[in-house]
Amino acid sequence: MEITETKKLLFIALRDLERFINSKYWLAGQIAMNLADIFIFALVLRGFIRREFVPDYLQYMAPGAVALATFVASFSIGREVGMEVRREIVDYLLTLPVKRTTLVFGRIFSGMLRGLIYQLPFIVIVMLLVSPPTIHKVPLLILTSVILTITMSSLAIAVSTISRDFNIQATFRAVTYYLLFFFSNVFYTKKVLELRFPQPLPDIITLTPISLSADIYRWCFNYYAKLEIEKLLLLIVWGLTLTTLAATIYLRNLTKR
Amino acid sequence: MQKISDDLRAIVLLVQWDLTKIVRRVIFVAMRAVWFAVQVVVFGQVLAQMVNAKVIGLDASTYYNFYIFGIYTSILFTITASRAYDIAEEFEEGIIEYQLSLPIKRKVLAFGRAIGSGIASTLFTLPMFVTVLILAKEADPLAIAISIISALVFSIAISGLVLSITLSIKSSDATDILMGVLDAILVRLSTVFYPAVVLKNIAPYYYGALMNPLSHVADILRILYSFEDFKAIVISHPLAMASYVLGLFMGFTFLAMYIIEKKIEGGGWK
Repeated sequence: MEITETKKLLFIALRDLERFINSKYWLAGQIAMNLADIFIFALVLRGFIRREFVPDYLQYMAPGAVALATFVASFSIGREVGMEVRREIVDYLLTLPVKRTTLVFGRIFSGMLRGLIYQLPFIVIVMLLVSPPTIHKVPLLILTSVILTITMSSLAIAVSTISRDFNIQATFRAVTYYLLFFFSNVFYTKKVLELRFPQPLPDIITLTPISLSADIYRWCFNYYAKLEIEKLLLLIVWGLTLTTLAATIYLRNLTKR
Repeated sequence: MQKISDDLRAIVLLVQWDLTKIVRRVIFVAMRAVWFAVQVVVFGQVLAQMVNAKVIGLDASTYYNFYIFGIYTSILFTITASRAYDIAEEFEEGIIEYQLSLPIKRKVLAFGRAIGSGIASTLFTLPMFVTVLILAKEADPLAIAISIISALVFSIAISGLVLSITLSIKSSDATDILMGVLDAILVRLSTVFYPAVVLKNIAPYYYGALMNPLSHVADILRILYSFEDFKAIVISHPLAMASYVLGLFMGFTFLAMYIIEKKIEGGGWK
């Protein structure tokens, strides 16, 4: 009986997911950091941030922390894919009876599953801290999470397979991580960015995938009353572009010597 | 007399060992430098704009100075704590067993490694410290000398703690998780980002910050540079803060000595 490519893709993704769940030490440290961001950093700054900028910093930051947590979990796939390219485990992967595109999309899919599973407890926390999403907002919450996780998983794979050199891989991954982490609106609003930095920097910061997702989450959790639909469309564009780019780079580096 | 000079020679060799280890970590250096640059250029600038510094009697630019000394303290802590991964790696490679078998007193071994790690971490963060001084427009030689000594004492204390923890639990995975969690919590539960008066709004956090060595070192550095600006918002009296850091240095160094002399044996690494 022949196994369909879809089943193979699922097999690859679930194998990666198992490795993610088994990396409990990494997970524990990460969870501690994300929780500390919400329950220490945001809670303390709530009484210290100027209300004209952010009326309630905890409620502002908590949905952003979901975007951040989701990003970090999806991004973790890059480390493993990079290691496989470096140690030439890709040679073994290429011998498997799986189409190369299945292999590539299986890895992207697994990054997506990592992010989606990891974000669940944080969504519950934000529901308790801010407000639960109304039923008609749930599909958009799921859609945003799916696009964000695919985008970040693709980006991590693209960045980690650019080179076979560990140093270059690690540097690229760290720089991308820091840029996305700090150049986002998770911790600060566009209004504040405009006061401190010249254009187009504030605009660029608010149009990154993390910032777009954070804003959509804020709407889903009723922190924002209105959602600009262009943000969702732009997030979809990010997703499509980075997935195509990651698939192309990963496919090329699977066989490049 | 001969014994003392042998011990000193051993300490010098151990310090050299730690210095050569940190020089090889080029990628780690690059990543930390990027992290520090973004914290100082972006995060700090925006936070200074956002916070209501008037409630603590500061303006935005003074808060920015407050922040950059805090960030320097946090990076010094993170880099010193990251020595745990080196020690774990040394254990996996059998280097710790090799060092235990050397004709060096175990007390001296512990003291040398703690000092070596502390000096290496402090030297590693010196360019960042210079950046902070330039940004804060500070150039008082006495303040610079005292702050470097404070940073060194703090770093040796954390090295002693890291040695004690890593060599006691003897597990790379457990070291990984413990250091990650400690870093995440200690940096946020301190006066690195916000002054003690703001933390007082949440009593458990305030008492946590009061016990946290990061709060004391960050506030020592701040008060050294601008006593008038920060005297009302530091976590404790300057002498009390200095005594606390000195106490930690002695306590954690003796703890490392005790563990290496009395408890540790080769093998058993998980």
